Amino acid sequence: MTATCREPCCTQPTLSVSELFERGFRRSREMPLTVAGEAQINNEGHVARFSLDLAGDRIAQLRFQASPCATLIAYCELIAETLPGSRLDIARALSGADLVQKLPGVPAMKRDRAALAAAALHSALVVASLPRSGDSDESRLHLRHPAA
Amino acid sequence: MKVAYIFATQRHNVSYVLAKMILPQLEQDRHGADVVGMFFFEDNNYVLVKGNPIGERLHKVAQQKGMLLMGCDQCCYEREIADKLFDGVPIGCFPDLYKALSGNMPDQVITL
Repeated sequence: MTATCREPCCTQPTLSVSELFERGFRRSREMPLTVAGEAQINNEGHVARFSLDLAGDRIAQLRFQASPCATLIAYCELIAETLPGSRLDIARALSGADLVQKLPGVPAMKRDRAALAAAALHSALVVASLPRSGDSDESRLHLRHPAA
Repeated sequence: MKVAYIFATQRHNVSYVLAKMILPQLEQDRHGADVVGMFFFEDNNYVLVKGNPIGERLHKVAQQKGMLLMGCDQCCYEREIADKLFDGVPIGCFPDLYKALSGNMPDQVITL
């Protein structure tokens, strides 16, 4: 028997689009967190941008700003509710197809919003993976100007 | 004249105004205006769910006449019917409605 994954991404209950949209609409109006990704835009002009706080190698908190599209906000909120507590490598593996699978009830013509939400998350994760000021990575000392 | 209908209020609109006035007139080509689109809010969206008898007739007329049918996306999600509508009937919000109508703009938009 295979053990059930206990990572936060695998232990959340199924949520409805409407419930996620209601909570996501409020979350999307909050100020961005310290680590912010680039805003991502799709071919319809919808925009999404994630920001996050880290606790070690895990995501502590996620927020987002998104175009006022119910489907896009629901996908972003699904990410924001399910990924806190997850390791960065698990978060990086999340795809638009995963979001589509986790959130039934979205008609096919609206599912492309999942890819946009995932792209916005990945952008924030890239920024989160960059060395931050104060990191004690001695390999970077060689890049400092000798007069500094 | 081209018109678009927005079904915003509930009560007797779909079962009476649509099903007993507008739809029979469209089926008999005697409505008096070209209906280019219909948009549905709140419980009115149930007429767009597959199997709805009024919706079956409406969907058939819409296909014959190239008429847009669209449900409010938030209303459909709230009722968990967004993926249960007639084939090809989209959900959306105002930007989607305006974009869908932009190729065949109505002269009048009538809210019912």
